[in-house]
Amino acid sequence: MGLLSASDEAVLKQHLAAVDSRVSLLLFTQTIGGSESGPVAKQVLDEIASLNDKIDVVEKNFVLDTDDRAKYGIEREPAIVVLRNGEDTRMRFLGAPTGYEFVPLVEAVLLAGTGNLELDPATVQRLAAVDKPTDIKVFSTPT
Amino acid sequence: MAFSNANITATSVEATEFMDLSRRYRVTGVPKTIVNETIEILGALPEEQFVDAALPTVDNPSPS
Repeated sequence: MGLLSASDEAVLKQHLAAVDSRVSLLLFTQTIGGSESGPVAKQVLDEIASLNDKIDVVEKNFVLDTDDRAKYGIEREPAIVVLRNGEDTRMRFLGAPTGYEFVPLVEAVLLAGTGNLELDPATVQRLAAVDKPTDIKVFSTPT
Repeated sequence: MAFSNANITATSVEATEFMDLSRRYRVTGVPKTIVNETIEILGALPEEQFVDAALPTVDNPSPS
């Protein structure tokens, strides 16, 4: 049984129809001794990917794929990295993207898939001035 | 923000799953934002104020 109801799936599919670039969701999980939420994360991503052919899920082994972990700076699992046409968008998710993390994940997929920033043009102009590595973590909860 | 500038990386963290991180960054409420391990922003802010708080070294040409 899916995590999304049929009606939610229909609405989501409509939103995701705007995706016109290839979006890859890299999912880092640990099969043996890993977090219990890994399979949940996979189910969420698979359901999103099933709604648009341009979205795919690429599974990475948290233990074995050390080069990719280093490349994307992944230190925990499950972790999701959002790519646009194979390029890192620098948008990451730690933990199963359910609850309050689900909408931001969908928004990240839409951003990666359309390139349409929702930010105010003045904000984009200010962000262009950021010239040093900047790490932003946002903590949220499932409910 | 991360999408608009290659210097920015943004990670959404499920706080209850990573209690060690929540403790390390003293997450007592959500959303809580941590920038470069030092700046802490509790709660959701309007876009302009969020940039002011998160990136204090970036000039705001029209501070409100």
